[in-house]
Amino acid sequence: MISNKVAIQVLNTALATGGDFAEIFLEETYSNNLEVDSGKTQPPSSGVSYGAGIRILKKLQSVYGYTNDLSLKGLVKLAQQLSASFNGKQEIVVDKIEKVKIKNKHKIRKALSSVETSEKIALLKKGDAIMRDYDKRIVRTIAVLIMNNRNIEIFNSDGKHFVDSQERVRFVLQAIAMQPGAFETGFTGPGAHSGFDFVEGLDIENEAKEVADLAIRKLSAKDCPSGVMPVVIGNGFGGVIFHEACGHPLEASAVSKGLSPFANKIGQKVAHEAVTAIDDGTIENGWGSNNIDDEGVPTYRNVLIKDGILQDYLIDRFNGRRMNRESNGAGRRQSYKYETTSRMSNTYIAAGPYTPEEEIKSVKLGLYAKKLGGGSVNPTTGDFNFAADEAYIIRDGKIAELVKGATLIGNGAEILMKIDMVANDLERAQGMCGAASGSIPVDVGQPTLRVSEITVGGQGGKLQ
Amino acid sequence: MKVTKFFELAKASGIEACEVVVRRSTHIDMNVYHAEVENYSIADSRSIYARGIVNGKMGFAASEKDDAKTPEYLVKQIITSATNSESDDIAIIFKGSEKYKKRSTFNKAVGLLSEEEKLNNLFLLEKKLLAYDPRITEVEAASYSESVNELEMFNSYGLKLKEKDNYFYYYTSVVVKQDQEVKTGYKIAIFNDPKAVNIDQLVKETAEDGLSKLGGKPCKSGKYPTLMNQKVTASLLAAYLSSASAEKVQKRSSLFIDKLGQKVASSKITVLDAPLNKTIFYSYFDDEGVAKFNKSVIDKGILKTYFHNLSTAAKAGVAPTANGSNNGGKIGISIGNIVLKPGKKSVDEIIKDVREGFYLTEVQGLHSGLNPTSGDFSLQASGFMIRDGKFAEPVNLVTIAGNLQKLFLEVKAVANDSELQLSSYTTPSVLVKKLAVSGN
Repeated sequence: MISNKVAIQVLNTALATGGDFAEIFLEETYSNNLEVDSGKTQPPSSGVSYGAGIRILKKLQSVYGYTNDLSLKGLVKLAQQLSASFNGKQEIVVDKIEKVKIKNKHKIRKALSSVETSEKIALLKKGDAIMRDYDKRIVRTIAVLIMNNRNIEIFNSDGKHFVDSQERVRFVLQAIAMQPGAFETGFTGPGAHSGFDFVEGLDIENEAKEVADLAIRKLSAKDCPSGVMPVVIGNGFGGVIFHEACGHPLEASAVSKGLSPFANKIGQKVAHEAVTAIDDGTIENGWGSNNIDDEGVPTYRNVLIKDGILQDYLIDRFNGRRMNRESNGAGRRQSYKYETTSRMSNTYIAAGPYTPEEEIKSVKLGLYAKKLGGGSVNPTTGDFNFAADEAYIIRDGKIAELVKGATLIGNGAEILMKIDMVANDLERAQGMCGAASGSIPVDVGQPTLRVSEITVGGQGGKLQ
Repeated sequence: MKVTKFFELAKASGIEACEVVVRRSTHIDMNVYHAEVENYSIADSRSIYARGIVNGKMGFAASEKDDAKTPEYLVKQIITSATNSESDDIAIIFKGSEKYKKRSTFNKAVGLLSEEEKLNNLFLLEKKLLAYDPRITEVEAASYSESVNELEMFNSYGLKLKEKDNYFYYYTSVVVKQDQEVKTGYKIAIFNDPKAVNIDQLVKETAEDGLSKLGGKPCKSGKYPTLMNQKVTASLLAAYLSSASAEKVQKRSSLFIDKLGQKVASSKITVLDAPLNKTIFYSYFDDEGVAKFNKSVIDKGILKTYFHNLSTAAKAGVAPTANGSNNGGKIGISIGNIVLKPGKKSVDEIIKDVREGFYLTEVQGLHSGLNPTSGDFSLQASGFMIRDGKFAEPVNLVTIAGNLQKLFLEVKAVANDSELQLSSYTTPSVLVKKLAVSGN
C-alpha cells in the first residue's frame, strides 16, 4: 500500500526522538455480508476498512496513532505527532527494508469473490427454508454469510516488511421459536480462514434442522435448577470455559504486570493433571489461524498447560518486554484502529482417555451442558460466567430432561483443579472474542469433560 | 469525497434518491503505570456511508477509503445491494422534518487543556489511589480518553444536517488484596466540562468499589427483595426496552407484540425517550435525518409507543419516533437517552423495612445469559446483603435468575438517586419484590 521509500521516511520520522522500535501497520479489508431473513434476501451490506496505525516503543512506553490518510504527508504528520511524546535523540536509523517471505498455510481453494452472489444467496435460502419448514412454531429465521478479505502490510524498524492476505467466511443460522409465553432460539455459526470451499463442505441441511429442532425443544423445557453440582460439559463450543477461565488470564497483558492469578507460576501445578491446554495459531484454515500475527511474528502452537503444569503464556512484543520474553505470535488486533496486545487464536483442551458416555455415567445427579453460549471473565480475579445453550439434567448416570436458562459461574484458578475427566472427542468451534485490541476471530475447543462441581444458576429452584 | 460528484454519478446510474453520511472522529488516549506514561495514542479517522433507492429497494455501502474511485465504488455497491434485495422494508430517503431543535453541546474548553495537565491528573490519580489504603496493591489503569465526533448528512433532496460533539472520560481500576483474596474496583467517569472533574471523588469511588468487595462470598440461595443500583437498573432496562423496537415487533420476535396501551411494568415505572435533554448524549436528528423529540415510552407502567425508524413507522401507519440508526449503512433502530423517572424517597428510606434482602451492584454475562426475546435471564452477580434495613456483608459469585417482564412488573419502589450512565441511560436505584439469587 506504500513504497519502501515512504516506509523508511515514516519510520525514521517516528524514531527521530529516541524511540527504540517503530512499526507501520497498513490494512485494507473488504467485508461483505449476505442475509436472508425469514425467506427474504436483505440488501447485502459491504464495507472497506482502510488505514494505517503507527507505533513507537521506548522501553516500557508505547505511543500509537492511526489515520485513513496513507499519503506520505499524512503518515509523516502522524509519525511526527507521535514522536513528540519523546524528547531524546535518534538512536536507530532504518536505511533498508527487506521483504520477509511468508509461507501460506491457509490455502484458499475457491476465493469468495469468485462465487456469484446468487449462488451464495441460494445456499442461505436453503438453510433458511429448512429451518422455517421444520415446525410452524418457528416464527423467524435468519441465515447470514459473513465474508472478509483482510490485506495487511507491516513495516518495522528492524527493516522488515511483511505482507499477508487473510480470507475468512462464516455461515450463521438462527431460528426463533414461539408459543404463548415462550420464546426460544437456536444458533450455529461455523467459520474458517478459508474460501467458499468451506461453505460448500458444510452439511447445511443437517445444521439447519438441528438449529430449528433445539429452538422447538427448548419451548417446552423446564427452567434449569440452581446450586452447586457436578457438570459434564460437551465438546466444541464447551471450550469457552477454558477460554474465559484460563485463556484470558494467561495473556501477557495481565501476566506481565503480575495481575493474573497465573503470573509467576510457570512449572507449577495450576490445573488437574487431566488438563493439557494448547493455543495453536497454525491450524490449517482454522478460524483463529494466521500465517503471522499482527506484528509480523509467525504464529505457533503454544502448549500452555501440560498435565496440569503451567508451561507458557500468550505473549506479544510490547508486554513481552516487561517479562523479558520474545513474542510467541500472540499479538493480534481487530484492525488498524487498535494497538496489538496478547490474544488467543485457536485455544483448546487436548483429548483425554475417557469416553463421553463414561463421564455421564459417573454422575448421579448433575447437569450435562451439551452446548455453551458466550461468557466473560475478570482476568485479574479470574471470576467468570458462561451460559448454556443446550443443557440436560443427569440422573443416575443417564441424560434426562432438557432444561433452559442455565448459567455456570466460578473462578478460573479453582475450576481448573476440578476438571477431573477429559474425553477423547476433541472438537473446535468458532467465536468472536472481544478485548482491548477489539473483536477478533478465535476458535475455542475441548473434548467432553467433567467438572466435579460448579455453581449453576437458573430459575428452576433446587436440583432434586 | 465530493458529494455532488457522487450524487451526479448516482443519478446517471439510475439511483432514484440517495444519501451520504460522513462521520469523522478524533481521539486522544493516555494511560499511566508506575508513574510513567505507558500508552499514548492519537487517532483521526472517517467513514463514508451511502444509501440509495433502485427500483423501490434500498441499497447501501460503506467505505473508509476516500479517493477518486470512491463515488464509483459506492454507486456500484448500492446497486448490487438494492438489486439483490427482497426486503419488504419501505425505502425512504427523507425530505426533512419541519423543525429541528438544534443546540450545540460542543465544549471548546476540552481541547484547550494541555497534555501536561491531563497527564498530571493521571499521575495524581495513580498516586492517590495507592496511598488511599494499604490493601490497594496495584493501579491497573489510570487512563484518560478524549473524543471529538462530527457527522454530516447530505441527501439528493437537498437536506443537509450536521452535528459535532466532544467528551472525555477517566477510567481508573485498582487491585485490592487481603490475605489470599484478590478483588478489583473501577470507575469510569465521563464529562464534557473540565471544571466538573473532581480527582478526590474519583479516587474515593474507585478505591471503595474495590475495598467494599473484600470478604465477598456467595450468600445463601433464596428469593430476596432486591435493590438494583443505578447501573444494573440501566442494563436490565436496556435489555427489556430492546423488545420495544418496532422492527422486532413487526418481525414477530419481541416480548412487546400487541402490548401497546397494555401494562408492561409496575405503575411506579415511567420511562421517557429524552434525546433533547442537555446531557453529553444530546442529539437532535437520527440517522435518517428525522428531528428527534422527547416522548413518553412507558407511562405509569403502560406502554405508550414502540421505537420506530421511517420504514417501520410507515408500515405501522404512525409517525416516526426518530430512532433510526445507521449500522454500516443499514438502517436499524437504536434506543438511547432513556430516562427512568426517579421517585421521591432516598435509597435509605426505601430499604428501611427490608429485613433480609440483596443489594445488586454488578451483573456479568448480559450478552450470553440473557435472552432478549423471552426476557429470561440467568447472570453472574455480586453485591451486598441488606439486613434490618441496612447494607451488610459483601456477596460475590452468585447468580440471579428471572424474567425481565416479571421483574419490572414487580417493582416496589423507585429511588431518587438518578445517575447518568455511560450507556446514555439516566436511572435511579430500583427495589423489586423478589429475585432468585443462587449461591450456596
